[in-house]
Amino acid sequence: MVYEWLAANKEILKIFFGLIIGIICTAIVLRTHRLFKLSSHQGIRYFRNAFLFYGIGFLVRYILGAFLFFNLINPAYRAIITGLFEYFLIMAGFFLLYSLIWKNIEGESTKYSSSLINPKISLFYIMALILVILDCFWGGLSFMLLSQVVLFAVATIISYMNYSEGKKQFKFRKFYFVAMLLNFLAWLSNTLVVFFFKGNQNMIINIYFLNLIIFFLFLYGVIKVTGLK
Amino acid sequence: MTKKRERLQVIRDILDSIRKTRNIKPTRLLYSSNLSPQMFKEYVNELISKGFMKIDIDKKDKKTFSLTPKGFEFLQEYKAIENLIENFGL
Repeated sequence: MVYEWLAANKEILKIFFGLIIGIICTAIVLRTHRLFKLSSHQGIRYFRNAFLFYGIGFLVRYILGAFLFFNLINPAYRAIITGLFEYFLIMAGFFLLYSLIWKNIEGESTKYSSSLINPKISLFYIMALILVILDCFWGGLSFMLLSQVVLFAVATIISYMNYSEGKKQFKFRKFYFVAMLLNFLAWLSNTLVVFFFKGNQNMIINIYFLNLIIFFLFLYGVIKVTGLK
Repeated sequence: MTKKRERLQVIRDILDSIRKTRNIKPTRLLYSSNLSPQMFKEYVNELISKGFMKIDIDKKDKKTFSLTPKGFEFLQEYKAIENLIENFGL
């Protein structure tokens, strides 16, 4: 009954989720940006960028999706909106992974004045663009989904290694590992639904809720470890 | 063997030494920071240029360091910064 109602109002649900996730990302970006400005720490910078891109992606989906829903813009623009949403989501995933591995890639002496435009990050922009173009030609989201499954599998392994190294000292690392694992499972479920379950509506709705929980977990984590200011 | 201090810890130690004394002479700050003179100079220049601390010169032309509001803000937020980096593995 509930699933039927939710499935019938899927577009409104998408807009609603987009808005909530956009608000969560804005809160995370504002808090981490303040801490980055004080510390100049590159890891915080890339973590902030990840949620900046998630926020932009979901707000684009919310605002333009609402325009589409109320027929305020031509439905032909749906593909562009999906492409933009996909692009920002892929970039966010790259930044989230990079926030965990930047220390092994950038030397202590490497200081880029911009974390959004620099030689290493431009590779992400190119890769994200290629994935969006491939999806555009193939029709669907297969390349984005597969890339995110691989990306979050790696991120989950790294956060598990971080947790194993400092489980006694840093108790919250377990939480971060769980958040990454849930993220990986959400992308994996998304991929399975697209490839094997032919867009099963109930599963799609469950994935929306799982995504919402994941973003709330990240927000909770940031508030818990940095304090509410 | 003690672990090498991270950059942020060094900054915290320098700013904390200034906070404790309000105004501190360069030589005293150098001793309390536990850095080589060369490293100390680099850190101090960076912290001044970023607006965390400032140099005050008195009538007798003697220099002391003091914290700026941004320096105080850093010390207030240091635990949050450290927690975020350590707990999220950033």
